[in-house]
Amino acid sequence: MILAVLFANSVGNVLIERFNGVPAEERLTWRSFLVKLGAENLKGVKNEELLVACHKSVYIVYTMLGDVSIFLVGKDEYDELALAEAIFIITGAVKDICGKPPTERVFLDKYGRICLCLDEIVWNGLLENTDKDRIKRLIRLKPPSEF
Amino acid sequence: MAESSGKTLMDLISADPTPVPAQSTSSSSSSSTPSPAAASAASSMHQPMSTKTTLGEKKSKRATLMQIQSDTISVAKAALNPVKANIMPQRQRQRKKPVSYTQLARSIHELAATLDQKSSQKQLVNHVFPKLAVYNSVDPSLAPSLLMLNQQCEDRNVLRYVYYYLARILSDTGLSPGGGIPTPNWDALADIDAGGGVTRADVVPRIVNQLTSEASNSEVEFHARRLQALKALTYSPSENSELLSKLYEIVFGLLDKVADVPHKRKKGVFGTKGGDKESIIRSNLQYAAMSALRRLPLDPGNPVFLHRAAQGVSFADPVAVRHSLEILAELAARDPYTVAMTLEKLASPAGALQDILHLHDVLARVALARLCHGISRARALDERPDIRAQFNSILYQLLLDPSERVCYEAILCILGKYDNTERMDERASGWYRLTREILKLPEATSKDKSNKAKRPQPLIKLVMRRLESSFRSFSRPVLHAAARVVQEMGKSRAAAFAMGLEDIDESVHVNAFSDALDDAETNDSSHPEGIRRTSSISAGPGRNETIASLLASLMEVVRTTVACECVYVRGMVVKALIWMQSPHESLDELKSIIASELSDPAWPASLVNDVLLTLHARFKATPDMAVILLEIARIFATKVPGKIDADVLQLLWKTCLVGAGPDGKHTALEAVTIVLDLPPPQPGSMSGLTSIDRVSASDPKSALALQKLVQAAVWFLGENANYAASEYAWESATPPGTALMMLDADKMVAAASSRNPTLAGALTRLQRCAFSGSWEVRIVAIQALTTIAIRSGEPFRLQIYEFLNTLAEGGVQSQLSEMHLSNGEDQGVSGTGLGVLITPMLKVLDEMYQGQDELIKEIRNHDNANKEWKDEELKKLYETHERLLDFVSLFCYIPRAKYLPLGPISAKLIDTYRTKHNITASSGSTDPTVVATGISDLIYESTQPAPAASNSSGLDDDLVNAWAANLGDDGLLGNNAPAMSRVNDFIAGGGTDAPDVDEENVFSRPSVGYDDMWAKTLLETNDQEEDDVRSGSSSPDSTGSVESSISSHFGGMNYPSLFSSKPSSSSQTTGKSGGSKYQSTYEGYGSPIREEPPPPYSYSEPQSRESFENPMAAGSGSRSYESDDEEPRKSTGTRFGTALYDFTAGGDDELNLTAEEELEIEYEVDGWFYVKKKRPGRDGKMAGLVPVLYVNQS
Repeated sequence: MILAVLFANSVGNVLIERFNGVPAEERLTWRSFLVKLGAENLKGVKNEELLVACHKSVYIVYTMLGDVSIFLVGKDEYDELALAEAIFIITGAVKDICGKPPTERVFLDKYGRICLCLDEIVWNGLLENTDKDRIKRLIRLKPPSEF
Repeated sequence: MAESSGKTLMDLISADPTPVPAQSTSSSSSSSTPSPAAASAASSMHQPMSTKTTLGEKKSKRATLMQIQSDTISVAKAALNPVKANIMPQRQRQRKKPVSYTQLARSIHELAATLDQKSSQKQLVNHVFPKLAVYNSVDPSLAPSLLMLNQQCEDRNVLRYVYYYLARILSDTGLSPGGGIPTPNWDALADIDAGGGVTRADVVPRIVNQLTSEASNSEVEFHARRLQALKALTYSPSENSELLSKLYEIVFGLLDKVADVPHKRKKGVFGTKGGDKESIIRSNLQYAAMSALRRLPLDPGNPVFLHRAAQGVSFADPVAVRHSLEILAELAARDPYTVAMTLEKLASPAGALQDILHLHDVLARVALARLCHGISRARALDERPDIRAQFNSILYQLLLDPSERVCYEAILCILGKYDNTERMDERASGWYRLTREILKLPEATSKDKSNKAKRPQPLIKLVMRRLESSFRSFSRPVLHAAARVVQEMGKSRAAAFAMGLEDIDESVHVNAFSDALDDAETNDSSHPEGIRRTSSISAGPGRNETIASLLASLMEVVRTTVACECVYVRGMVVKALIWMQSPHESLDELKSIIASELSDPAWPASLVNDVLLTLHARFKATPDMAVILLEIARIFATKVPGKIDADVLQLLWKTCLVGAGPDGKHTALEAVTIVLDLPPPQPGSMSGLTSIDRVSASDPKSALALQKLVQAAVWFLGENANYAASEYAWESATPPGTALMMLDADKMVAAASSRNPTLAGALTRLQRCAFSGSWEVRIVAIQALTTIAIRSGEPFRLQIYEFLNTLAEGGVQSQLSEMHLSNGEDQGVSGTGLGVLITPMLKVLDEMYQGQDELIKEIRNHDNANKEWKDEELKKLYETHERLLDFVSLFCYIPRAKYLPLGPISAKLIDTYRTKHNITASSGSTDPTVVATGISDLIYESTQPAPAASNSSGLDDDLVNAWAANLGDDGLLGNNAPAMSRVNDFIAGGGTDAPDVDEENVFSRPSVGYDDMWAKTLLETNDQEEDDVRSGSSSPDSTGSVESSISSHFGGMNYPSLFSSKPSSSSQTTGKSGGSKYQSTYEGYGSPIREEPPPPYSYSEPQSRESFENPMAAGSGSRSYESDDEEPRKSTGTRFGTALYDFTAGGDDELNLTAEEELEIEYEVDGWFYVKKKRPGRDGKMAGLVPVLYVNQS
């Protein structure tokens, strides 16, 4: 299960978050934990360089893309490597939409489409589509494979 | 960045995407005349996340929501009326200032009504929908417009958004995962506005109907929408059984049409461009159906479900294949036999499962590994070794997978780590498999491979090579995962050793096995040529590799990984090293690695404690390592006293001590007490006799933590020295002659140390602590000494008695600093300040000795006069005996049935009296004023018949070991003990609860004044005397020995935060109040070193040690020493109440109330109740926070 996908800006404001199977009362703590993790470790990190953390049997992979930091929290089959795959797909999609590693401004301008992409990539806590073109087609309401 | 960093999500989203004016660097200036809702929402988003939802903040949030609410009501009303408004002015206004939710909602209604205009669609896609995405949830009153758009709009982009929002309305159950700007509870809002409100309940059936009909629409042109409709439907909460059955119907209906057509999958091609239209559409629909099926609850008994899932393996769409494999893997975990039978053909060398090995979808291959593992390990398939072998072969082939994720999954499966259930035998056989088995590539795939690749490869070699190369990676996730795999390998290896698996000699050449296999194959193989050639090739340079050498070279690489800059990777490496450490290897390297690691301030406390818990787990796997692990644990105590959880450390000490076995006990105790030799924070104090690593307690906080640790150690020593030394007054094999008691002090010390060096050593340490170190430590030391005095036989008791006496009078310093001299001179009270404390303790001992003296006198009288003991005399004796027992029990736990305060010689007389008066030894007394003998009684009482007790001379070590090994599994010691549950959680691999953000909270625990504690103890004891009649009845005499001695060590230790020994309801006969009093009593004695036991990590316990930001955490601050009494109430005595007024939830954690509603109050946090409803409200929520004032407590 991908427990959480979270996008934050450089000062720690959450831009997008998607929690799956995390009780409401723990979301706040996760949010603060992730933002703190980012604040401590993401300074000077290259775009898309992956960082890793774990808490008990839960794995966290996070990275920086432009002005935006992206956090993924997962457990069970979504271990650090699976999350690394997922975050790779997500960063790819965000870059595609924004044209480059986004500034916060650009990210927010494309907010709607990013949400749609995310909807195609992570569906109910499970990784769904991983192929760029396929995601592109699906957010335009085209079938996954075209004829 | 400068121009955008000052903006909030709200500003940026709600403004038009055209470049913002230069002055808009802050939200206040950017929105010159913002609508109140937008402005306040913006201001709430301005706060750093960490403070966003503190309770104080809630008010402003609520204000925001009220604004949105009032706006929305007007919108909802407007929506009911025919739309007349012109959209153009609206757009113009948007250009100038941020858009509020209300405006967005209104725009949707308006634009939906004017869909025929191209501009409307553009407006929707570019402005309205993207901005709406920022909000946490979608107002159900938008649903009619969305549905209208869904029916009438042609624009694909608009439609995609419509499906997205419909799905969000369906999924919104008050716990929407949306994030973003908080929105009010729409249903509650609709309720308020009785006239025109639209609730979820109103719209969901309409949405479901429309989506269902779309999902069943078989028009070719419609099929992309069909996919999205089906997807949106899966978002609806699974509690809705009606909808669920509808969904199953749709999915199976779809699969009926598209799944059965025989179909050859095209490997690894995503687009399958150029395929015929029909098959592509079919593949798309297969994908949609399988994805939806994956989101539906598993239906294990249903053959159709299994059949359809199995069909998915051959689908063309890789994502569909992945889902089908995941479903199959889950089914196989429950019913491997049926799944195996269904998949039998697919697993054959040319079957579809083989194709998946080359499928371009990592998670599909991961699922394949799990599936194969599930089937190949199934006991149910013992009679079909052929099937198992097929799946096994696929699993082994996955070791060669190019993706680390897949390869590691395969390794973990082979190692027996499938899920979080740890099974020793599975693990052990996992290690055996890894070290013994050979990967043979099947014929079908080896056609195009070279001979070299075809050569059978020992798994261990493949795995080692793979891991070694992974450790050279630069990717942190890869390093972390590789270290984790090594850790799991260590676990399996430890299990194999623990199970004593035969044939795990690691010095065997790995190729020996493949050779043996080769030889076997040459006889009956159809390709003798090839195999002979491969076996000659295998006689290469790798000939001499043994498992040990492979492991050694791997561990070399692992060790170098501690250079990684990521602290979590290093943490995992340290854990891996701990697991791979074998009991016989040198420890120095590991110790130095850990010591240097811990010196790094970057290590978060949670990670440090994780490693500490790893030590626990390691101990559980290999009890032989107790001493080694204690030595490692010592490094933690010295290096990062401020970061470790003293409770967990104590538990580790205790389990290690118990597990160390008769020979290791002394060493184990030594390892613990080394903490005592740490130089105390003040400079110039005792620097200890043993040379130890330098302490990193330079800052006051660490110094304080170290202090607490020392206290804990002193307490531990007092409680356990007798156990470690196997010295008990009531089990003394050779009761000391009176002659021994005549010795003078120094001879006595010599006698004592020759008699029992362990105990003598402990005494020396405690004596040293009693006059050096801080005030708190001294108190605990005195208590520890008293405990030992009471529990030990002579000469130890006398030695302590003398020491206490001297201490009370002063002059101990010189006596101790020159231990070999007698205490000739008196140097005054020497500033210990413990006189008051020592007096009652001395009094106990005084009374005991006095009683003994009198008894001896009496006996002599009787002997001399040669007269029988009269009943009154015996009665008097017995009463003295009981009185002393009561008195002694005040200080520490002793087994009442066996303890003889009047000395061994009284045994016969007491027995005589008991027999005469028919008093059972176990009940001790019918006197209602007896004092509790300890929690251990409660715990051990009804839960287990005491183990065989024929061995009365001492502890049954096997039993103890067994107990220790099962530490986590028996419920006896109260799994509610926080440290214990933490350990168990960890060992079970569970725990996904939120991490502790705050690292300093150790110091926020309330401290308890000694006086309070003391007073409380006495009070509690009195209460208890009134309430409890049952004291001591727990140990029937026959079983007294083993049981009581065990309980005195484990349950009887009574370190409250360790075992917190709350009697579970099943094991407690005296009722809850009695139980908590027992606990309080004993906590009292342990209390100077007592720390607030951290609440257990669990989902249901919101008071876990959370960050300061967590409003829930406020509760923990108010927990004081007395809170123990609340504990049971919290868990059992839930309060009830009724809602006084309607309340509208203002966030995820709050709950809507309707007046008069009945509630269950779980707990209170800072003016809020956490309540549960009897039945879910309209929003489907059952539990959450409500203001205290809204609830009438019944």
